[in-house]
Amino acid sequence: MTQLEPVIHIVDDDKSYRTALARLMEASGFGVVTYGSGEELLAHLPRSAPGCILLDLQMPGLSGLELQDRLTEKAPLLPIVFLTGRGDITASVRAMKAGAEDFLEKPAPREALLEAVERALLRSEIRRAELDRVNALQARLETLTPREFEVFGLIVRGKLNKQIAYDLGTSERTVKAHRHNVMEKLGVHSLAEAVSIAERLRLLDPTAKPPEDVHDAVRRTSP
Amino acid sequence: MVRASTKPWNPLTWIASAFLCLLLFLTLVTAGPLSAEVVDQVPRILILYPYDERIPATTIAGETLRNRLQQATAGKVDLFSEFLDLSRFPEKVHIDRMARYLSEKYADRHPHVVIALGEEATGFIVRYRHAIAPDAKIVFCGFSGADAAKLSLPSDVVGAFSEYDIAKTLLMARGLQPDARDLVIIGGSSDFDRSWLATARRSLAGPASGLRTTYVEDLTIDEFADRASHVPEGSIILVLTVFTDRSGRNFIPRNALERIAAKASAPVYGPYSTYIGHGAVGGNTVTFESVGKAVAELAIDAIAGKSIANVNVPKTFVADARELTRWGLPESGLPAGTVVSFKEKSLWETYWAAIISIVAALALQAAIITVLLFEQHRRRAAEQESRLRLLELVHLNQSATAGALSASIAHELNQPLGAIRSNVDAIEILLRKERPDLNLIRQILVDIGEDDQRASDIIVRLRGLLKKRSEIDWQEFDLNEVVNSAICILRAEAGQKSIVVSSSDPTRALPVRADKVHLQQVILNLATNAMDAMVDAAATERRLVFQTALIENSKVELSISDTGRGIPSDQLDHVFHAFYTTKPTGTGLGLSIARAIIETYGGKIWADNRAEGGAVFRFVLPLAHPG
Repeated sequence: MTQLEPVIHIVDDDKSYRTALARLMEASGFGVVTYGSGEELLAHLPRSAPGCILLDLQMPGLSGLELQDRLTEKAPLLPIVFLTGRGDITASVRAMKAGAEDFLEKPAPREALLEAVERALLRSEIRRAELDRVNALQARLETLTPREFEVFGLIVRGKLNKQIAYDLGTSERTVKAHRHNVMEKLGVHSLAEAVSIAERLRLLDPTAKPPEDVHDAVRRTSP
Repeated sequence: MVRASTKPWNPLTWIASAFLCLLLFLTLVTAGPLSAEVVDQVPRILILYPYDERIPATTIAGETLRNRLQQATAGKVDLFSEFLDLSRFPEKVHIDRMARYLSEKYADRHPHVVIALGEEATGFIVRYRHAIAPDAKIVFCGFSGADAAKLSLPSDVVGAFSEYDIAKTLLMARGLQPDARDLVIIGGSSDFDRSWLATARRSLAGPASGLRTTYVEDLTIDEFADRASHVPEGSIILVLTVFTDRSGRNFIPRNALERIAAKASAPVYGPYSTYIGHGAVGGNTVTFESVGKAVAELAIDAIAGKSIANVNVPKTFVADARELTRWGLPESGLPAGTVVSFKEKSLWETYWAAIISIVAALALQAAIITVLLFEQHRRRAAEQESRLRLLELVHLNQSATAGALSASIAHELNQPLGAIRSNVDAIEILLRKERPDLNLIRQILVDIGEDDQRASDIIVRLRGLLKKRSEIDWQEFDLNEVVNSAICILRAEAGQKSIVVSSSDPTRALPVRADKVHLQQVILNLATNAMDAMVDAAATERRLVFQTALIENSKVELSISDTGRGIPSDQLDHVFHAFYTTKPTGTGLGLSIARAIIETYGGKIWADNRAEGGAVFRFVLPLAHPG
């Protein structure tokens, strides 16, 4: 992962407002890309760079909230700051619940705007770091053999070697060897560390069954 | 018919036929005398005129007589007239010939009554009654009791006496001319004229005392006129009759008098009512109308079989106002009860009917005008009042519309304001840099200017909606312009509701005369209604379409159609009624106010459903410059 400048994506149907906002952000030292509509943003969805989205709530075509729904899946690393010309409680609650970083009323004061953007970028950073960590763990998890992944799944659920041997129909001795390999490959030194990784990768959902194989598990951990 | 019948001959039929024939015969026989009786019941009346038909005295009397008889018998009378023409044909040969002629003429139609007008006609019929009208009742008129005595009339001949009192005529003249010294009496040469002169001599001896009295007779008409023109000043001239002058010329006495009076140098008097209006000042007389009436009554009684006796026709004083004026005689000098003819009526007397009707008409007109003015004043006040009310309502509704749209309007305003703020912030940051990008700053300033303009444009568009006015601001403007302005105001609201707004490209300007804000109000009203109606429609199908058009080269039309739920067809007319609303929060006044506004400007508004769904509201307004 190469370290990139954060980019602020401005989506507003009002060209004049869009331009003014872009100038302010650029003058404040950010990279800026502007879009006239939600559709335009979706068509040029930024892949990797960190940043945030300044999104107009009311736009013809895709509304801000509709766009937010789609971006949650497609661009999870870009927090959304909503801008609206009319204070709308229902809309703002909906937006916040759906994970919006902020909700500002036009004409937003510069401080509030910049603060919101800073916060969003920080959140973007955090999300990125988190994702990086998850990705690293996943990479490690992928080095496990299917048998080792099975053993890992049982270890983090607190099973003893004896129980695991019984479950897998093998000897305690073999389980011990697998366990050693798993700890080695994941770079952990204690059971607590292993559980923490499993948790982070959401492998310990009590309602979910133990994963069938590692690839499925990895797929499911993608945010 | 019976014989022609194929049926066998029947004795019973024969008896019946014979009986019928007998009945028929009896009917015919009795009908004869019956109808003759009916004819006999229509009385035959012969009127004898002594002279020819041009003599006014007998003509007037005869005419009055005929009318009265017709009236009294309800038209069931046979009237015959004979003109004996005795003044022009006084010879016995003529009189005998006339008698023979009439006796033969009336041989089969003997008159039941003969009415003789005047002394000569009376003498004639008394003499020849047996030949002409053997069983007739004879009534007469037109002469005095004294003359009747001379005729030695039979006792069954009665009449209405005209007592011409020449003394009373003189009395009248002396009353009018108390200073008169001379009296001139004129009479003609016929027997009648001479008898008049004789009568005058007898009866004037006393009344003319103190006057130099001259009798002028045996002259031609011109000599009479000449004498009359040379009478001493202040004289009284009495003209009796001139049927014939010395030369033997026959006259209608009235015409003779006329010629004399025309030349006379003093007032002329006479004993006949026919002289009035032809130069005579006046006299004491019986009017020929009253003579005719009196003799008619006698005749009517005679027909009815009543017994009749001599009567006197009432006498009156008559005078001609024009002659009084001509001679400077005071009307006050007339005897009491004088009938004054040809009086110059006062304006009032002449035109009283016209004056009354004119005054009445004027009064009525004035009243009507007053009422109309009052009514107009009241109507104007009421109109003013209702206009004020309407304007108040319009204002309230405008404020309500502005309120409903305020969120959208705020958004609309916040766009340029937000842009300005961000641009200003950007400049501030840029200026803090070591080498500020002046080109960029310049561009930003241009943009700020534009955004400021945009904001103020929005405010201008809205100003009308918020400003309260007490009168209509008449302007001439293009309807398209107001439509566009309304669309600008609505755009944010439409965007909020995911409604696509479109309008037709105006092909030409559509000038109307109205208050721009009022029309904007109507359009906003219709459009917000339409947008509300589309709440339930699928977001991709919400379309609001404005279309303007020129109609019949004299009207402009705006239609606003939506893709909403439409209007129940039985409510299409009701939607414009006050307080009609389907919205829980609606006042139901918007559309009724819209209608009131459109009608104020001489237009019409109505609603329809579209075949493809949704409603369309249209209004038409007169084009500002039709043609």
